[in-house]
Amino acid sequence: MRGQSISALLLRQGNSEGQLGRDAQVNTNSKNANSRMQVSCDKSEIIIMCFKNLPIEFDAQGVAHLKGGAIDPYGYQRREINRDKLKEMMARNGHIKDVSISPVTRVAGALSFHAVADLQERKFLEANSVATIFRGYEVILKGRDPRDAIYISSRACGVCGGVHSTAACEAIEMAFGISPPPLGTVLRNLALALDFLYDHPLHLFLLAGPDYSQVVVEATNPAMWEKAKLTEATNAEVHQHKTIGDIMKSLNPLSGGCYLDGLKMTRTPREAYAVLFGKYPHPQTVVPGGMSSTVTITDFNEVLTRLQKMLDWTKRMILLWDDLTEFFYEFNPEYKKIGALSPNLIDLGMWDDPDSYDATYERCNEWGEARWATPGVVIDGKLVTTKLQQINLGLEEFVEHSYYEDWNQNGNQRYLTDPLGAPLSPNHPWNKETMPKPSKESWKDRYTWDTAPRWDRQVVEAGCYARIWTTAAAGMMPKNDFLEATGHSLKIHMPKTMLREMDFEWKIPEVWNAFERNRARAYCMGYNLMIAYTMTLKAFDYLRKGEDKVSTKFEVPKGERRGVGFWGAGRGFLSHHLVLDKGAIVNYQIVTPSTFNASPKDPFGNPGPYEQAVLNTPIIEDFDKPENFTGVDMLRAIRSFDPCMPCTTHIYGGEREIIREVNTCACGAEG
Amino acid sequence: MSEMPEKYVGEAGSPKPHLSETAGLPDQVGNVARRSMEELVEDICASQGKTQRSLGPLDKVYVFWLAGMSCDGCTVSVTGATEPALEDLLTGSLPGVPLVVLHHYVLQLESGDHYIHTLEKAEQGKLDAPYVIVYEGSIADESLTVDGEPFAAEGSLPLWAPSEQRRRVATAEWMKRLSPTAAAVIAIGTCATWGGIPASYGNVTGSMSVMDFLGKNYRSVLGLPVINIPGCAPVGDNFTDAVQAILLFLQGLGPLPEFDELGRPAWQFSETVHRHCVRAGYYEEGIFAKEFGDKECLVEIGCWGPVVQCNITEAGAISHLGGCMNAGGPCIGCTMPGFPDKFSPFYKSPPGSLLSSNASRLLGSIIRPLRRISQRERNREIRWHETVPSGWAMEKGDVSLTHKILEFFYEAMQFQGAKKPGRELPEEQFPSGYITLPEQKYGKDFQLLPEDRAKKAEKRT
Repeated sequence: MRGQSISALLLRQGNSEGQLGRDAQVNTNSKNANSRMQVSCDKSEIIIMCFKNLPIEFDAQGVAHLKGGAIDPYGYQRREINRDKLKEMMARNGHIKDVSISPVTRVAGALSFHAVADLQERKFLEANSVATIFRGYEVILKGRDPRDAIYISSRACGVCGGVHSTAACEAIEMAFGISPPPLGTVLRNLALALDFLYDHPLHLFLLAGPDYSQVVVEATNPAMWEKAKLTEATNAEVHQHKTIGDIMKSLNPLSGGCYLDGLKMTRTPREAYAVLFGKYPHPQTVVPGGMSSTVTITDFNEVLTRLQKMLDWTKRMILLWDDLTEFFYEFNPEYKKIGALSPNLIDLGMWDDPDSYDATYERCNEWGEARWATPGVVIDGKLVTTKLQQINLGLEEFVEHSYYEDWNQNGNQRYLTDPLGAPLSPNHPWNKETMPKPSKESWKDRYTWDTAPRWDRQVVEAGCYARIWTTAAAGMMPKNDFLEATGHSLKIHMPKTMLREMDFEWKIPEVWNAFERNRARAYCMGYNLMIAYTMTLKAFDYLRKGEDKVSTKFEVPKGERRGVGFWGAGRGFLSHHLVLDKGAIVNYQIVTPSTFNASPKDPFGNPGPYEQAVLNTPIIEDFDKPENFTGVDMLRAIRSFDPCMPCTTHIYGGEREIIREVNTCACGAEG
Repeated sequence: MSEMPEKYVGEAGSPKPHLSETAGLPDQVGNVARRSMEELVEDICASQGKTQRSLGPLDKVYVFWLAGMSCDGCTVSVTGATEPALEDLLTGSLPGVPLVVLHHYVLQLESGDHYIHTLEKAEQGKLDAPYVIVYEGSIADESLTVDGEPFAAEGSLPLWAPSEQRRRVATAEWMKRLSPTAAAVIAIGTCATWGGIPASYGNVTGSMSVMDFLGKNYRSVLGLPVINIPGCAPVGDNFTDAVQAILLFLQGLGPLPEFDELGRPAWQFSETVHRHCVRAGYYEEGIFAKEFGDKECLVEIGCWGPVVQCNITEAGAISHLGGCMNAGGPCIGCTMPGFPDKFSPFYKSPPGSLLSSNASRLLGSIIRPLRRISQRERNREIRWHETVPSGWAMEKGDVSLTHKILEFFYEAMQFQGAKKPGRELPEEQFPSGYITLPEQKYGKDFQLLPEDRAKKAEKRT
């Protein structure tokens, strides 16, 4: 494939070719200087690939190929960062404050953040996200037996428990040409639903929750605390907190009921996880071709007992976050701008349909769309694709502001196409090499160990909220009794337990900000819970049918093989790109949700999601003099993403590892 | 301290005081509650009316949790601990155990300089109680990063300077600065105890364990070498259990906690995980899982349990539930200093099992049939001779002659030197001549099933 001329490449778009032919038209996009073409979509009907910036176009037959004529189709011009004006402003004005928060606590892992705040205008002028740890897992994997990838990559992140091992498995399965038996897939789905049932409460009550607690609100916005004490909570009857003040008190660290229950509720799903999968984090039961759990009826009954405990609590918790969010909006609508971003979201979907998943790249669009969470990319609030192949083709990583050298300097691109013959960027993970170049941080130049992953050269954010959004918008979820994706919402039916049966509906929000991220995370609890319940019933179903096999035998192949694991972490998007040769790993690349979210500026001048979210955040907190500014609004914005730095800073690929910082200079004062 | 390998910290790590001696902090950035977690904990304890007077000399202990090349998995494990529970330690709710004031980046209320300030206070001896360092993750060789940013950093110094004039402080530097005056240093997780994956073959950071970093002669203020709680991730309860054991000993209440030659709590880590494994019995009988998901011993599909020191099969992973092999996961030796390279490639059977599992197979092939015979007899009521009245299957009442013979000798051995139940000897009869009601009614057949008794009576007539 490598010898093939790029411009001659033609690409057939899998099962969607007919649709493409009908719906796609080529327009010129005069607004975006980067874009070469645009495929407009009929969003109400069929979702098709909509690359605005990548040099891929479609002909009338729906066949995609590289746009003709370009000598260097993936080439680009780097935009320099100019801080001169900002520096001048800082020197001139006492109210412009250099804000350095190192470390940012109550996030997973080592994150630092730098910003420049204009305390008079109450806005941020610059924001840099910095990850401060680098371990080099991808480098450690290079040259190892592929079987080691599962348990070694798992250790990239202990907060994410078993997600890396599963993504590694899916990549290995694709490379080995094997796939799990149905019960193996169902067990995997169950594991990954239980995983998030621990993960979301940890974030909502231990990490983010304290920012909305009495001790913080009272200190940074006393008027709000006074109002909260007098405001009755709409859903008090269910969650048992009479006023918003009661909720805030309940969120107080180490003493509040919600905080302590949240901590205890992180254990309940982990108990279920331990019963079926041994331990959490880093389960020992994820294997190529399935799972190695020995399942018994008791195991599943023990899981059901714990799901039942979580049902009541989750019903209360969703409504509690609803009430809290609405209170903030009502108290001051400016809160809708905390952490606000245009909704650009990416997710790979997860929870495979056991009848569809065959681990092949050739059929990834079909098994991807059959998942219980639908893959997708949302640009400016519109779903532009649900096809895994298209999401994969749009992926690129840039290192202009990271401590790496450009691996494309020698022009030696390993793969010109994906396994289906579609054009692949030299910046795609399958082509990436990591060449670390440690240096001192400079907001203008390189300042982070994190790379800047982009989709179609646009900034996208990942999260469980992206997963619920793409699933809701696509409306492709398999038919079932508890969950329904309507195209604009996700309906969650939760059966009777001690509390009555209740119906919830997460609607795609009109504004996108820190509160909506947290609210969506709370609804994701209900989503995950009903996935876990459904998967337990499915497991029973397979056991009833006597299909009790959980794994498939495999041999390590000796030839050159490629694989990719399209999966999700608690925080969303997770891909493992793998290249094998002669029975050993020759390239291993991990892209995590926080790699996206914590990314620095890209070469086109766009800041990463944390950075942009902080730049969009107004400073609402009360302070009488500049010294008393705490930065709580900015911290709420950052924490709403549920940063997970161990993942981000694993290490990318080549010779050395990486991670540590993400920083961006999204300088509002840029000249 | 003299043994501290200076080179590992590099130029950036020269331990100089950075905090101005004038106490107050110049601004509130990151201090979102305008008070620290430590102050909050004091408030909570006061408001709950809990006395902090404990039953021993210690009222409270600070714990500084530092993370180097870590994945936060140890932190996650410890949040799952229930024996004792983390929240009980942190709120001083355990009688006799001093209040544990945890300074942890994942849980702390405040961020940034206010968070780092407490570490500096500890270094300067300004805390009102002793402190313990808990280190998660391996320690990178920061001499490799002298010209760049450290591999693992926590905070930046000097405090309050503009961002461009600060330098990020390697976690290794905090270790170097805080360890001399720490009451104890606890390494948690396999990265901190033995280097783990960041220190495995092909690593690019020169990572090492806490023991490697501090050296053989390191002693804490209490005179202790580094305490090691391994596992990837460790069992959360192992950590809180060890902490409670140490604290109770220091209070003069608990027994002396013993540590093995590698600093592991001996009561947790001296046994192999195989000895308490729920599948160990299969090994003994020489029956081995062939595929993932099989219920038998996992040795031949990659389990290293027989040589790995760990207690997860006995203690469970969380709330006494789970455990790798209990669920079906082969042991890959994640608690051991040789992890991961000396256990790679995972899923391949350990070479040692070639001899040992085949020896078990041989022995098992002899004892298994014998056990099945004894088991079969013990699966029968004393009333079951001709008939087994089970509706579940056509259980055969009769047994083979071989079985009868073997069982005859087996029973003889079973009651040799002991008394077989029953009143067969004359002296065991009632002196009054009393005969029990079943015997009065059915005579010798009193212990047969009604059905068999009827048949027998019919035959006799």
